[in-house]
Amino acid sequence: MGAAGDTTREPEGRLRLFARRFLGLDDDGVSTPLVLLSGAIAAAVLSPLLWLLLRAGEVPLAEARSLIGSSGDVFANSLALVAIVTTASVLLGVPLAVLTVQTDLPFRRFWTVVIALPLVIPSYVGAFAYVSAFGPDGELADALAPLGVQIPEVYGLGGTALVLTLFVYPYVFLTARAALLSFDETQLEAARTLNVDYFAAFRRVILPQILPAVTAGALLVALYALSDFGTPTIMQYDVFTRMIYVELNSFGDGRNNATLLSLQLLTVTAVVVALESRIGDGEDSGYGAASSSSVLISLGRFRWPAMLLPALVSTFTLALPVGILTMWFVRAEALAYEVGGRAFEAGFALNSVYVAALAAAVTLALAIPVAYYSGRSRSTFAWLTERATYLGYAMPGVVLALALVFFSSNQLAEWFGPTAARAVYQSLPLLVFAYVVRFLPQAVGATRSSVLGVDPSLLGAARVLGEPPRRVFRRVTLPLIAPGVLAGAALVFLTTMKELDTTLILHPTGFTTLVTYIWRVQEGGYYGRAALPALVLVVVSGLSMIPLLVQGRDQ
Amino acid sequence: MTDEPTSKRRRRLLASLASAGLVGVAGCNGGGAETEGTPADGNGTATDTPSGSGGDGSLGAEFSEFRGSGVLAQGRDEVGGTRIEELPNLEGELTIYLGGGEGGLYRDLINKLEEIYPDFSATPRVSGTADAANTIITEGSATPADVFWSVDAGSLAAVAAEELTSELPSEVTDPVPEEFHPNGAWVGTAGRARAIPYNTEALDESDIPDDVMDLPDSGIAGNMGWGPTYGAFQAFITAMRITEGKEATRQWLQGMVDAGITEYANEFFVSNAVADGEIQAGFANHYYALRVQAARPSAPIDLAFTSGDAGALINVAGAAVLEPSPQQELARTFVRHLLSAEAQEYFATRAYAYPMIPGVPPVGDLPRIDELNPPEFDLARLSEIGPTVELMREVGVL
Repeated sequence: MGAAGDTTREPEGRLRLFARRFLGLDDDGVSTPLVLLSGAIAAAVLSPLLWLLLRAGEVPLAEARSLIGSSGDVFANSLALVAIVTTASVLLGVPLAVLTVQTDLPFRRFWTVVIALPLVIPSYVGAFAYVSAFGPDGELADALAPLGVQIPEVYGLGGTALVLTLFVYPYVFLTARAALLSFDETQLEAARTLNVDYFAAFRRVILPQILPAVTAGALLVALYALSDFGTPTIMQYDVFTRMIYVELNSFGDGRNNATLLSLQLLTVTAVVVALESRIGDGEDSGYGAASSSSVLISLGRFRWPAMLLPALVSTFTLALPVGILTMWFVRAEALAYEVGGRAFEAGFALNSVYVAALAAAVTLALAIPVAYYSGRSRSTFAWLTERATYLGYAMPGVVLALALVFFSSNQLAEWFGPTAARAVYQSLPLLVFAYVVRFLPQAVGATRSSVLGVDPSLLGAARVLGEPPRRVFRRVTLPLIAPGVLAGAALVFLTTMKELDTTLILHPTGFTTLVTYIWRVQEGGYYGRAALPALVLVVVSGLSMIPLLVQGRDQ
Repeated sequence: MTDEPTSKRRRRLLASLASAGLVGVAGCNGGGAETEGTPADGNGTATDTPSGSGGDGSLGAEFSEFRGSGVLAQGRDEVGGTRIEELPNLEGELTIYLGGGEGGLYRDLINKLEEIYPDFSATPRVSGTADAANTIITEGSATPADVFWSVDAGSLAAVAAEELTSELPSEVTDPVPEEFHPNGAWVGTAGRARAIPYNTEALDESDIPDDVMDLPDSGIAGNMGWGPTYGAFQAFITAMRITEGKEATRQWLQGMVDAGITEYANEFFVSNAVADGEIQAGFANHYYALRVQAARPSAPIDLAFTSGDAGALINVAGAAVLEPSPQQELARTFVRHLLSAEAQEYFATRAYAYPMIPGVPPVGDLPRIDELNPPEFDLARLSEIGPTVELMREVGVL
C-alpha cells in the first residue's frame, strides 16, 4: 500500500511505480500471478480478432467506405433495438428478482427456475413461435380475430423488441437475483427502524448495492440484442447483423465484407462496454453477509395474487412457444412425414448437457481471476482486462467460428504440420474454447459484481487474524461471492445449451447436440420434427438449473 | 485374399439389386406411374417399407431401401441409368461436408452405401450451405474434407472459385445434362424446380400464364401467396433480377404487392394454403406440393410451370471433389454413386427431387426434366442475393 513511497526518487523507480499503478499491483489482494493470469486470459479470448483484422484488411478501401457508409440506417435501427430491449429487460428483470428473493411469494424456487428458463429458448425457435402465433394467418391471430381482438403487427421494431426482451430479460433477473442474495439484510432492518418504508429503502439502500449487478446484466442484454441474428431476421427488422448475414451468404468478397462489418460491430460494442463501466461502478461499498433469501417483505393478502406477474411473464416466454411447438409436433405426426436421418436420441441431450457443463466449468475457472482482479483493483490494466472479455460476446457466432477454423486448421497446419491441425481442429477442447470466448463476460460480469459487493474491511479483519491471502480468498471471499459465481455459471450453461452457429461449424464430427439436431430437421423444412427436441431442450435445461439456483436458499 | 467374404457378400447384394426394379413393379399397382400417378391412385395397399422388412420378399428388399414408401413412390416403372453394381467398389474412408442435407436424407443414403460396402466408411459433417462453403474456403488446403455435397449450386460455385475443387472426369459428369454441371468443378445430383402450385378446384392450369412476368396483371395475383423470407424465393427473385433486369423486377414485385398477394413464413405453408383453398395459387419449390400430396392424397393441388423464365428456374444440389484431398479416386467413385440409378431413385422418391439422369423419371405426374423449360442461367450467380434483398426491401416486401 504505502510501500511505493521511497522508490519515487530514481527515474527507473518512477517507471516502476507507473507500471505498478497501471497494473494495480499495490491494490489489496492483487498479486503478480493474478495480473499475469488475467492478462493471458484476456489475450486468449481476443485472439480471434486477429483473423478479423487480417480478412477485413483485404477489402479495398473504396468498397470498405461504401460498405460502412451504407450501414447508417441499419445502425440506427440496431441502436434503437438495443435501447428498448435493455430498458424493458431491466423493468422486467429487477422486480421479478425482488419478488423471488425478498418476498414470501409462494413456490419461490419453482418461479425462480421458470423465470430464468426463457434464456434457453433459441431465438429462432422463440421468434418462429411468435410469428406463427401472431403473424399473418397466425394460429392465435386467427383464433382471436372473431373475438374482435386485433393483434398488432408482429414484424418490425415492436415485435423484434418484444420477442428479444421476453427471451433475454433473465440476464438481468439472474444477476440482480445474485446481488440480492448477497445483500446484507441487517441494513434494510436498520433503514426500517428509521421508519423508512420498503420502496424508499429499496431506492436508497438496496438499489445502490445491486446496481453493479443490474448494469452487468443490462450490458449482457444490450450486447445480445446487438449481436443476435435470428430474431431480427425472422421478425423482419433490419439490423446490423442482418447485413453481415447477407454478406456471408453471398460468397465471393462477402466473407471479407462480413469481417469488416463485424469489426464495425465490435467497435460499437467497445463503446457500449466502455460507457457501461461509467455507470456500473457507482457504488461499491460492501455488503458482507453470506447469501440469504430470508423473507424481507411480507406480501400479506397479495401473496397469492403476486404470482400473477411471474405467471403472466412465463405464459408469454414459455407456455406460448412450448404450446406452438407441441402443436407443430402433433401436426407433424398427423402429416406422417417421411423424414430421413437418425431419429431423435436421448444421447443428443446428454451431449448438450455434457458440453454445456464443461463450458460452464471452464468459463467459471477463467472468469474468477479476471473478475477478482478487476473487482479488487481500480487500475487501468484491470479495467482493460475485464472490458476486453466482452468483445468476444458481440462477435457474431459464425464469424467467430470461421476465425477459429482459420487458426486451428489453415494456420496450425502451416506452422506445425497437418498432424497438429488434425489434433486441434474439430476437437471438443476447441469447441469449449469457442464457448469461453463467447460467454466469458457472462460469468465475469456476474462474478465481478459480487466481488465489488464484498466489504474490504472484512478481508482486512481476516488478515489481521493472521490468515494468509489465499486462505482469506477461500474462506471469506469465495463464500461471499458464490451466488454471483453460480449465477454466472447458470448463464453460461443456458446459453451454451442453445448456442447454434459455433457448434454447427466447430463440433467434433459425430457429436450431435440438441440444437444441431433441431437445426438439421428444421433446415429440411420438417418443423414439426423440431418440436420434440426443442421441448427436451427446455426441460433438460430447467432440470439442470435447479442445483444452480437453489443455492443460498433459506436454511 | 482377405476381402473374399466381402466381395461374395457384395455380389449377392448386387444380384438382388439387379432384379429389384422388376420386383418393385410387380409388387405395386401394375406400373404406369407416368400417366396414372395421380395421388388418389396409390391408396396404400402396397406393403413395401423403407426398412426392407416389408412383405415383398428378400429379393426386393435392397431396392426398396432406396425407393421411398409414400403414395407417390408407388407404381413406378423400372428405372434406367447406371446401377451400383456396374460401378467400381467403394473402399476406404471419406470425410464429406454436407451443405444442408434434406433433413437427414443425405446421411441416410451415405449409411446405405456403407451397408453395401463393408470396407467403406464415410464421416459426414452437416452445416448450412453457406457455412459449409465458407468453412472449406477458410480451411483452404488444410481442409479435412474429401467431398463437398451441398443442396445449393451457389455454394459449390463459391468453393470452385477458390480453386479448391478438382476437375471431374467425363465418366463422372457424362450421365448428367450439361446445364447441371456448367464445368467439371462440380456436378448436379438432384434438382428442385420453381413452380406455381395451384388449387385445382379454383383454377385450371390454363389460368396460369406461361410467362411469370405476366402474373401481376393476370387477375389471379390477388389470390396468390408467397414466402419472401424463404431462401428459395429469394433465389428466384435473384434469377429474375439478373435475367430481366432490376427495374422489371421491381415492377413485378410492386405489381404483386399491389394486387394483394398474401405472405407466408415459408413455401411449405404456401403450398399447404393452396391445398386448403385459402389462396388459389402460390410460389414454391415443386416438392412442397408433393409433400402436401403425400400427406393428403386427395388434396386439390397441382403444379404449373412457366417457361424459359426465372419462374421455371431449376436449382440443383451437387457434389464436388476437393482438390486437397489425398483420396481423389475414392471421392470420384463416391460422386458416381450419387448419380447411380439407385441414388437417383432415392432422391426422386424420398425428397421428391428432380433426378439428374434421364433414365430416372420424377415422381407423380411431374414433367420430366427435359420437358421443363428452365431459363438460360448460370446457377453460380444465385449467390448474389445481396442486391435482391435490397430491392425487396425497397419495395417493402421484406
